[in-house]
Amino acid sequence: MKMRAYAYGIGLQFRLDIRSKNLLLTCYLVPLLFFAVMGSIFTALMPETKETLIQSMTVMGVSMGSLIGVPPTVCELYGTDIQKVYQANGAPLHFGLLSLGVSAFCHLMIMSAVILAAAPIAFGASLPEHLPAYAGKTALLILASLGVAGVLGLLVKEQAKLTMVCQIAFLPSILLSGILFPANLLPEFLQEAGKIFPAFWGFRFMSETGAGLRNAVPLAGIFACAVMGWALLLRRRKNR
Amino acid sequence: MERKEKRREAVKVENLKKSYGDRQVLKGVSFQVSRGEIFGVLGVNGAGKTTLLECLEGFRRYEEGKVWIGGTCGVQLQNAALPAYIRPEEAMKLFSGWKGTKKDRQSRPALELEDIRGKRYGQLSTGQKRRLQLALALIGSPEILFLDEPAAGLDVEARQKLHRAILELKKEGTAIILTSHDMGEVEQLCDRIAILREGSLIFQGTAKELAARTDGRCRVKIVTKEGEEVRFMREIGEELLAALEEYKRKGIRIQDIQVDRGTLEEHFLSLAGEVSP
Repeated sequence: MKMRAYAYGIGLQFRLDIRSKNLLLTCYLVPLLFFAVMGSIFTALMPETKETLIQSMTVMGVSMGSLIGVPPTVCELYGTDIQKVYQANGAPLHFGLLSLGVSAFCHLMIMSAVILAAAPIAFGASLPEHLPAYAGKTALLILASLGVAGVLGLLVKEQAKLTMVCQIAFLPSILLSGILFPANLLPEFLQEAGKIFPAFWGFRFMSETGAGLRNAVPLAGIFACAVMGWALLLRRRKNR
Repeated sequence: MERKEKRREAVKVENLKKSYGDRQVLKGVSFQVSRGEIFGVLGVNGAGKTTLLECLEGFRRYEEGKVWIGGTCGVQLQNAALPAYIRPEEAMKLFSGWKGTKKDRQSRPALELEDIRGKRYGQLSTGQKRRLQLALALIGSPEILFLDEPAAGLDVEARQKLHRAILELKKEGTAIILTSHDMGEVEQLCDRIAILREGSLIFQGTAKELAARTDGRCRVKIVTKEGEEVRFMREIGEELLAALEEYKRKGIRIQDIQVDRGTLEEHFLSLAGEVSP
């Protein structure tokens, strides 16, 4: 019975995210618009970017959708009496975060698939060699990014502050990840700073051939730390 | 929180204490509520009503005391909210799933949820939202219902509908604990009242007992040809008789006598220490 409640709740959240338009904007419209504009500029100015266009645009879209789109929704749910209504009606405390996370994961996977399908046709971009492995890499990047997004949404209680914090996480994440220009052009301390963001490891992980555990481990580590962060922050709420 | 088998009492609270930092918000609150009883918790803002309810509902931990709840609970929160884009029927289905029941009471006529089907939560009026929240609280037919200012912000018609629904639940044996600022509502609905002042229960009993517990004086207006006289009487039988004899002795003819026993609000304010009647 509870599994059915989880399944219905997650499906409902997926539909609510489409209706709310907030996630639609940050998970689809803006990243795909960015992909259309930057894809044409990049490939015209630097034809060699066709090799990594899919990866770079996916990292951009995933970072935007998760770091900009998800935290305000988490904050809205846990920062208002919506969560109390959920709890009062039998839903466990983690359900909101889980349903938002799974819904956002699905939306971001769809957006990534759109980029994967459109880039070769629109800009002659090269497809990754092993598509199932690429899908797995994309999934890990999304999980790590959503992990960070969940922590931000639970940690910052005011929407205004949260918007600022999200930008602070998103902008360096993109600038230091190497998707717009090679990361090795940056000063060393900025290269090191970039390593705390999932985008840095995600871009390297998705761009290399083979399993590439070297880059997978940091992503998995970020996700694991984030899940521990969720548990701590939710426990703190429960112990009020 | 202990849960016990069915018996007459639905909720029993003993010596409940709760603090926020150094500030003690509940200072040893004790009461019990029976099945089929509506128990009103009154108090001025900041008296601790919502904290008390949240401790009973399981939303807040408390330092000392015992709370036991003798049945399934439904909760309507004071500032209840739902995602703006959820539809009432989706919310009903979602929470029916979590409460492990397919049956709900959404068809309860007094709640009139049919007219809001298909609308999104953000499109509902305050009254419609309140009715939906009550319908959600009623999923699974709870034996105990917590209502935190259920009629706040409702117009007269919506308020009457809500009151009808609450009285219907009482008839069915549901124990209801409600907080309210509306004295008329409390007087109309509640079997017993508790007044919370600065974290302590300073009164428990019926509205009549409350009136008696305060100074219990009646305001008596005597209208004669010469004018009106207002007297405050504690023992109305004896004192009014004495007043009538006095008027008779003076040869003044009485045209009308009006007795005002005072509103619950006046008694409440008198006891809660805000204003003297």
